[in-house]
Amino acid sequence: MKELTELKKVVSHPYAYIRKYKKQTGKKIVGYCCSYAPEEIIWAAGALPVRLFGTNQNIHLADTHLQSYCCSLVRGILEEALDKTLDFIDGVIFPHTCDSFQRLSDIWRLNITGQFHIDVVLPVKLDTPSAKKYLADVLEKFRKDLGRALGKDITDAQLARSVKTYNKIRALVGKLYELRCANPQIISGADFHAVIKAAMIMDRDQYLKILTQIIKQLQKAKPRKNRADAKRLVLSGSVCTHPDMYGIIEKAGGVIVWDDLCTGYRYFEGQMNEKIAPLKAITARYLKRVICPAKHMELRGRGENLIRLVKQSKAQGVVFLLLKFCDPHAFDYPYLKEMLEAEKIPFMLLDMEAELPSAGQLQTRFETFIQIL
Amino acid sequence: MITAGIDIGSITAKAAIVDDGKILGTKVIFTGYNAEAAGKNVYEEVLKENALDKASVKKIVSTGYGRNSVKFADKSFTEIMCHAAGAYHLDKKVRSIIDIGGQDSKAIILDGDGKVKNFVMNDKCAAGTGRFLEVMARALEVDLDEFGEISLKSKKPSKISSLCTVFAESEVISLISKGEKRQDIIAGIHESIAARVASMAARLGLTEPLMITGGVARNIGVVSALEKKLGMKIEVSPYAQVNGALGAAFLAATL
Repeated sequence: MKELTELKKVVSHPYAYIRKYKKQTGKKIVGYCCSYAPEEIIWAAGALPVRLFGTNQNIHLADTHLQSYCCSLVRGILEEALDKTLDFIDGVIFPHTCDSFQRLSDIWRLNITGQFHIDVVLPVKLDTPSAKKYLADVLEKFRKDLGRALGKDITDAQLARSVKTYNKIRALVGKLYELRCANPQIISGADFHAVIKAAMIMDRDQYLKILTQIIKQLQKAKPRKNRADAKRLVLSGSVCTHPDMYGIIEKAGGVIVWDDLCTGYRYFEGQMNEKIAPLKAITARYLKRVICPAKHMELRGRGENLIRLVKQSKAQGVVFLLLKFCDPHAFDYPYLKEMLEAEKIPFMLLDMEAELPSAGQLQTRFETFIQIL
Repeated sequence: MITAGIDIGSITAKAAIVDDGKILGTKVIFTGYNAEAAGKNVYEEVLKENALDKASVKKIVSTGYGRNSVKFADKSFTEIMCHAAGAYHLDKKVRSIIDIGGQDSKAIILDGDGKVKNFVMNDKCAAGTGRFLEVMARALEVDLDEFGEISLKSKKPSKISSLCTVFAESEVISLISKGEKRQDIIAGIHESIAARVASMAARLGLTEPLMITGGVARNIGVVSALEKKLGMKIEVSPYAQVNGALGAAFLAATL
């Protein structure tokens, strides 16, 4: 599929794509690190929101600022900022989530010059009436801050257009999840991962066009039946930036049918109401969507959501992908584990750094887990 | 039915031949750099020693890190599955296994039917593995096979606090220069491995009877240090080093 090839090219060389895009369109590039960044507003402002994933090798510049007990994601992103890999960025957005990202924001502000820098101080609790009011104010302030940084007003009409685009993208990606859940063979894990990741990098209009084509073709495609006996798994955790992960699991006899990841379904989940004021609609979605462990909404909400995902997708097990030193996720793990045990849902934990454990050992762990399912 | 199991580990390659549950023979050789050749060689040698020909072996299962390079195997299983099958066959009552191999250590929990219920693996570094012992044996100029016996003579094991193999080696070297007794240093090394493996196994929650498998089980010093740390009696498999290969051979009979 030529559309897929195009997305894969973007995902394997994202910075080349962005540099070229910036040169051709003259658009501003705004970096962000977390799925709570209100990128609908960035896109409405005519800038390209780009998710930063960091590097996973040779982190040394970042080590002069961050301790080695910060997660590899934060360290890897800072490394690329310090070594000027990210010098194409015009500004950067830091939503208030975990402590490490707050410190990254501070270090960034003090050390990376020539860009604008906006902290979006989100509430931690999302299920109180005051949080609702507060979040609306924060997003209104962000709209003004961003407008000032880009030297323009961000109008309601622009916001409404962006809301529409994001709704379409998210609905289509939801469709892709459903298609793959019903027929995991329809698209390989590596290709699926490329489609998901491209959504956080590419020009959103261009992405929407390509995605529409891909879904159309997949709906027509007859799935190959060669992996019908593969064990169905749900991935849960923070980020999965390893395109190999899906392939490794498939080689071990499994297949990912759904996920609860920040770089996965949590990012796409939830539609915005197009009939109300756009900023209100954006606010409402961030209040409603499934939270990450750095936020609070109902004590057992994440666990209930995970169990619901497992049941809906008819999965046979869960793989937790946790970044080493990620305190919020580590803090949630014991209670998620207990809830899964109570439901008799098998799971395994992969505690990883940006670099994966050696291929042989990873294979052994996945194969064993899948063989005992 | 005669079946075979080939276990290609990081340091040694093992082969086992069984006939309907009866162990006919086993063999251990060094893996070297060519896992594929090691698999072929260890298989040919075990056949030769037991006066068998290839045609008499009906099924072959491979396991270990080199399992996919054993091209003549009918199927491969991970070493966790094979160690479970091997230990269960030797003693049906076994519920937990600690396997300490050349480059990693594992703890495995079995259910009443010998199926793997859960497992953990140390896959980050060499601490708590056979490789750690090899490095220490070199620093102490002692044959690794004597490690266990020597350590039992110790009354006051040295403290090795570093978890990193490289740092632990320099710690051992400074203990040597301080004039600490060799037996105390070796006992300290064993305690350090035991602490490492025990804390990993504790996350899983071991239940007795517990069996130890893998090459390091041959070291009585590590076994007794682990028993102390875990507060549990440990059954040492008489076939500890070839347990994975045996398990593979038993699993081959079920194909």
